[in-house]
Amino acid sequence: MTAIETSLLEKIYTTSFGKQKIQALKELSLSVNKGTIFGLLGPNGAGKTTLIKLLLGITFPTFGSAKIFDEDISGYEFKRKIGYLPENHKYPPYLRGSEVLHFFGKLSGLEGLHLSKKIDEMLELVKLTEWKKTKVKAYSKGMMQRLGLAQSIINDPELIFLDEPTDGVDPIGRKEIRNILLELKERGKTIFLNSHLLSEVELITDRVGILNKGTLLREGSVKELTERKEEYIVNVDDDEYVLLNHSDSNHQISKLSDGSYSVKVDDVRSINILIDKIRSDGKIIKEVLLQKNTLEDMFISLINQAEEDGKK
Amino acid sequence: MRNIFIISWFTLREAMARKVFMFFAGISLLVLIISVLVFSLVDTQTFISAANQGQSDLILKEIVAGLELLIISPLAGLCLLLAIFSSASFVPVMLEKGTIDLLLSKPISRPQLLIGKYLGGLLVVFLNILFLIVGVWLIISLKFSYWDFSFLLVSLTVTFSFAVLYSIIVLFGVITRSSILGMMVAYLIFLILSPLLQLYKTELHTFVENGIAKTILDGLYYIIPQTAELMGKLTVALASGHGIDNYSPIITSFFLLVLVLSFSIFLFRKKDF
Repeated sequence: MTAIETSLLEKIYTTSFGKQKIQALKELSLSVNKGTIFGLLGPNGAGKTTLIKLLLGITFPTFGSAKIFDEDISGYEFKRKIGYLPENHKYPPYLRGSEVLHFFGKLSGLEGLHLSKKIDEMLELVKLTEWKKTKVKAYSKGMMQRLGLAQSIINDPELIFLDEPTDGVDPIGRKEIRNILLELKERGKTIFLNSHLLSEVELITDRVGILNKGTLLREGSVKELTERKEEYIVNVDDDEYVLLNHSDSNHQISKLSDGSYSVKVDDVRSINILIDKIRSDGKIIKEVLLQKNTLEDMFISLINQAEEDGKK
Repeated sequence: MRNIFIISWFTLREAMARKVFMFFAGISLLVLIISVLVFSLVDTQTFISAANQGQSDLILKEIVAGLELLIISPLAGLCLLLAIFSSASFVPVMLEKGTIDLLLSKPISRPQLLIGKYLGGLLVVFLNILFLIVGVWLIISLKFSYWDFSFLLVSLTVTFSFAVLYSIIVLFGVITRSSILGMMVAYLIFLILSPLLQLYKTELHTFVENGIAKTILDGLYYIIPQTAELMGKLTVALASGHGIDNYSPIITSFFLLVLVLSFSIFLFRKKDF
């Protein structure tokens, strides 16, 4: 079942008096499965926050449509199943941590004892119990993020939108947030994550979308996006063995500084043929590694490519 | 309805956190303390005898209403000025980036959000005004042992005047996301336009001979909220227990309130944040 489904979603912002039009999203069609963590990546101004705002009815689409749990996003009742942590969220500075959760919990439909229990539970989860009676104006950026996360899940939502959830949080806090997100996924929740921290996205997401200037450039699992099918690292247990002799039109081989070999092949069959040849030479293969991009490498090359294509 | 109540309640909470509302309540408290001190020094019987040689109950009623109005009339205007100042930022603060995003992500409709904020502002001002008016009424009624409940209706006329002006502040807040323009327009209406148009209607109407000017001024008289009449003649009539002889200021102002608030909701429903 899909949690989010968008169809040719477009957003054009018009500046005052209609002088200038800015296309924030272009014909975006996307599908996010229930129970997964989806990471949306993109440089500043790519349209990531606009997409979340469209899905939550904070801003309205110019064209196209979207559904959340098969419900059209034009209403507001579907928001009972949703939690949201916006980027640069502001809480009334005069409220205490527990009062912030009380207010947003009430707005999400919680009441009485159940709400009080949830507030304590959430504060415990984000390690803010001892700060519950402190006014939020005294909170640090990291504490505000943790309170924001608690606010976003207080109503036990099915789908959680998080916009830069670890912004301003220290490494330990980030790990804790990651663990909370993974635990939520274990419980069958769907998480839609906007983040600049690619290494973090790589660690927890099931699928990733790359957005640039309102266009979805690529979408797939982290594995699919980072795999370079043609390149392997081959390490043979003999320093004297010269693999370069097997270089031919099907195998582009080069020696690396650590003594291993980089082998570029057209397909998996070719690497198997090479492995057979090494074995027939009586050599022992220590390892054969499929070379992968990091998400960051892939992201940068994809954005650069898009920029170059745009210039042409 | 539940959502409207939640938003209104937290608007009240927001107001409590603001110094200007504390100042508002502080002034009311000061007036009440001064009134207690002054009336503790006054001998009621001497006062009644001096003001009332006929010694009829009717005259006592007028003395009490007169004293109450003497205290409240200047204060009601001040209350309204403070109320406009203190509540003008409720909507713009709600529309700030980071705040409105969170509110709109919750299961609450946009009209509920705006109405809740409007009613919250109204509730805050009503409670402040009620505190002052009930206080003055209690002090004078206890002193003269004469209980005329009609004076309490003043709290409604002042709150209604504020409700009309506040709807305009909300409209400008939604359009500009700032409190300044709405506050300026409210002050312009309350301090200048409405008193001038009232003067025109009551004193100068017969002197204006130009037909077009007359039509424009008559039109403006009915379009601009008639806060001067609401806070003046109408308040005095209600406080003295004379009843209302002209409902026109209430009807036209109420019509404008509904129109302006509906337009605000219409714009708010369409707005991107």
